[in-house]
Amino acid sequence: MSILDEGFRAPGGSSRNRPHGNLRVLRIAVLGMFLVLGIRLGQMQIVDGASYAERSRENHIVQRNILPTRGLITDRNGELLVENVGVYSATILPEALPESEAARYLIYLKLQEVIGVSPLEVKVRVDDAIEAGRDYIAIKIADNLPKAKALELDEASVEMPGVSLSITPGRRYVGGPEFSHILGYIGPQFAEDAARLKGLNYQLNEPIGKDGLESRYESDLRGTVGFTAVEQDAFGHQIAALQSRDPVPGDSLKLALDAGLQRYVGQLLEDSLADSSGTWGDAKVAAVVVMDPNTGEVLAMNSIPTYDNNIYSEIKNRGSEYDQLITDKRDILLNKALSPAAPGSTFKLITSAAGLEEGSISPNTSRFVGCLLEIKGENDVLYEYPDWRCHNQQFDVRSAIAWSSNVFMYLTAGGDLTTTRGLGGDVESSGAILATWARRFGLNKPTGIDLDGENAGRIPDPGWKKRTYVGAGFNPGENEWFIGDTYNTAVGQGDVLATPIQIARMTAAVANGGKLVTPHLVNQVIAPDGTVVRTIGSGAQAINVSPAVLQVVREGMWGSVNYGAGSRAAIPQAIVAGKTGTAEFYKPNGAKSQHAWFTGFAPYEKPEVVVTVYFDIGVGGDKAAPVAAKILQYYFENVKR
Amino acid sequence: MSSVSYGGYGGGGVRTSASVWRGWDRFDFVMVFSALTLVLIGLLLIYSGSLSFYDGPLTSFASPVFKQVIFACVGITAMLVVSKVDYHYLTHYAWVMYAAGIISLVAILAVGQTAYGSTRWFDLGPIQVQPSEFAKLATILALARYFSEHGGDARDLKTLLISLAIVTPVSALVFVEPDLGTSIVFFAIWLGVVVVAGVSRRHLLIMGAIFLAVFPFIWTFAIADYQVERVSVLVDSNEDSLGAGYNVNQSKIAVGSGEWLGKGWKNGDQTQLGYLKVATKDFIFSLLSEEFGFVGCMGVFGLYILLLMRGVRAAQIAGDPAGQLVAVGIVMLILMQTFINVAVNLSIFPVTGIPLPFVSQGGSSLVSLFISLGILQSVVMRHRAYRQT
Repeated sequence: MSILDEGFRAPGGSSRNRPHGNLRVLRIAVLGMFLVLGIRLGQMQIVDGASYAERSRENHIVQRNILPTRGLITDRNGELLVENVGVYSATILPEALPESEAARYLIYLKLQEVIGVSPLEVKVRVDDAIEAGRDYIAIKIADNLPKAKALELDEASVEMPGVSLSITPGRRYVGGPEFSHILGYIGPQFAEDAARLKGLNYQLNEPIGKDGLESRYESDLRGTVGFTAVEQDAFGHQIAALQSRDPVPGDSLKLALDAGLQRYVGQLLEDSLADSSGTWGDAKVAAVVVMDPNTGEVLAMNSIPTYDNNIYSEIKNRGSEYDQLITDKRDILLNKALSPAAPGSTFKLITSAAGLEEGSISPNTSRFVGCLLEIKGENDVLYEYPDWRCHNQQFDVRSAIAWSSNVFMYLTAGGDLTTTRGLGGDVESSGAILATWARRFGLNKPTGIDLDGENAGRIPDPGWKKRTYVGAGFNPGENEWFIGDTYNTAVGQGDVLATPIQIARMTAAVANGGKLVTPHLVNQVIAPDGTVVRTIGSGAQAINVSPAVLQVVREGMWGSVNYGAGSRAAIPQAIVAGKTGTAEFYKPNGAKSQHAWFTGFAPYEKPEVVVTVYFDIGVGGDKAAPVAAKILQYYFENVKR
Repeated sequence: MSSVSYGGYGGGGVRTSASVWRGWDRFDFVMVFSALTLVLIGLLLIYSGSLSFYDGPLTSFASPVFKQVIFACVGITAMLVVSKVDYHYLTHYAWVMYAAGIISLVAILAVGQTAYGSTRWFDLGPIQVQPSEFAKLATILALARYFSEHGGDARDLKTLLISLAIVTPVSALVFVEPDLGTSIVFFAIWLGVVVVAGVSRRHLLIMGAIFLAVFPFIWTFAIADYQVERVSVLVDSNEDSLGAGYNVNQSKIAVGSGEWLGKGWKNGDQTQLGYLKVATKDFIFSLLSEEFGFVGCMGVFGLYILLLMRGVRAAQIAGDPAGQLVAVGIVMLILMQTFINVAVNLSIFPVTGIPLPFVSQGGSSLVSLFISLGILQSVVMRHRAYRQT
């Protein structure tokens, strides 16, 4: 310690001016202060050193994701329905702007010149961001730039520090508006989904499928995000590339849909909305499902009116159009093929099959039907249940289907409380059994088609009525199941609701001999290298119904088109079998109106296509059947299978 | 020089011819060795820390390392010259220098250059001069002069208060620059000097109590906003990691990630990638910690302790109260600057612009520190000669 502390004592004793200070305090101060620093240093470097080292690494290693190319979507013949495009937008990074206000303003002026944004607006947004301490986050100042402008901006941005052109993946739907409901669209993530998507390794600026197939097949279409890990300095310059993984493009979808048919049907429906007879007024909406009854492949599915789904990516330029779209009373965005309506007489196919299976009728049961059915209720009150016209003829089940006799179906489902027995022993059990048969044919639950937002429809039964017809607005006892409820259900009226896709699937089951298929728009998911990743099957379930029974029902459907109510669906190319439906309903204003339905299949002997046509207003045989005929004609002439 | 005859030193003509070599045998080489080692370490660190912004040749006036070498040479020369000057000559003119110091501090508030929100230096063409560096030495000399004329004693309350009145104006002027750190250094110098000058413990306790009572008011009314921000940044530096707390956070990461042995010279990524700002100046200790680790820091601490203990030794062997108190003042000056700078780097003191003595890049500080060492040498070299008379 002598080098540190060479004490010195004057040999000659103290003089007048001998300093008398006590320097021990000073030595303690020196050592004490360095002890404090040493302890703190030890705490930081040795105790917490490992965690600081980790933070140091995180500090300068930046992982950047590379977005994959989204998978494409083609129709069954390989026609491209969507293209990947770059969406060009101009962004400005406040912290990278020059210091001087004047230099910044020059940039804003240049921006106005190139892309036409207001310099004042840009200035306000930049200043706000700086004020809020968010100057390190790029601000989007213009969106959806045309390619020419984007290139001009890219060139000009060299002289505008802080301004850059950003390209995000976008989609252009090239198939036509007829595909909008099916394909959906992609768009920016919603704030409430951001956390969940982050868990799936989504980048914040990465668009996601919003509706239709884009949404349902998001995980297939998206692909695998690639990344590069780079070492970056404090100014954002890349120092070294450390690691990278290329993105894997998303899988493509090959649809069951035939693009030509889809477009043809869309145009046909648009043209058919207007009512030629003038009885019921023009139809406002329409839907069609064309399906393979054996596989569940959906060859066409239209919802009219339709819209252009490119509107979402061009919303800045098409704002008023979009406002119009979402405020339209016809609820254009809703897919009508998946939305419920009273199915009317198309339900008689189920009633007939149920009657034959449950024994309330046999294939040979023959009844005379006049204009109406009279049922004597309690206190000898006569209730009248009219047919849709005065048939005044003898019907078996085939001709009852062909001419769509209500009275025959009333008796088949509910009996008449005296001589004729219904499906069950009493009123309630008849209703319950009929509902069970409706469910067996796939009503009252989603069909499982590969689209979101499918409605389950509704099939009333005694239990349902007991639960539902209570509370405010209902009289006591009104929730009882009456014979009238069975009658209404038997002809697809009253509380029955079904979607066109459900009716198409039910028809398919009749046509294919009792298999309930799962409709699907997508046939195959195909990897970028062309290998098939996955094939979507029919997912068929057998309905416990005898082939002989369905044969009788098919004969009825043959009758409808070949001599009965649906004769306008007949075409020269093939023998068509089908069933019309005209469902009464009350409009919101109280006026009575009718839905027009036709559902059928062809060829009769070897069914390969099911067509279901729905108009919100019209008469089945007059409005829907001719449209079905045209669709089938197009199908047999143009669709290659 | 020999014409100045003060306190019996530097007498006859015969001695004059030999006086150029007189006292060199007592020159404290250990002290100079530790200081030069610190300067060399500083050069290594400045080189490493400037790689991210300077890539020109080493022998250029643009090179921070080269500039520092030049300043070191100027400083060493100044130290040798000052060693040869009798410190009594300096204390003789202490009041003049003190007045000049005050005037320059007032002047700087009027015409000085402002950077990072504080006004600290004059721009004299190629070089910038910080008058507070000069004022520190002037104040030390004034205090020593004052006490030496009053029996080298601070026991008397009146003497104590007058000495406080000497420090307060300079400290206050520095405070309004604003430079909280340097004004604390001034008071620490005063405290060190009066303790060694034998202040009564009772007086000191009472003054400490008064200070603690008044402190909240000073905090509220006198501490400049920027200081409040810097102090509050210290409390929660994570709150705004890109704003004022940025460098505090980055320096913590730099220091902590050095661990035992550091990342190696020129390998500290916090520094080399530019995350740590002013890595060659106020935050050079963070750079040292990052690249040389705990072990390297302890080595540097050892050098400072050695240097300061040699300074205490100078105080110990000083021939008279003036010399002793000058030495004490200089020890306190170096000690406090080192302590505050390192404490800032270790995030236990709010950010304040005090460089690390002998290590940080910067000419004013380096030259004035070598001059301080020169004064210490002057005290050491004259202790025996003084006694002989």
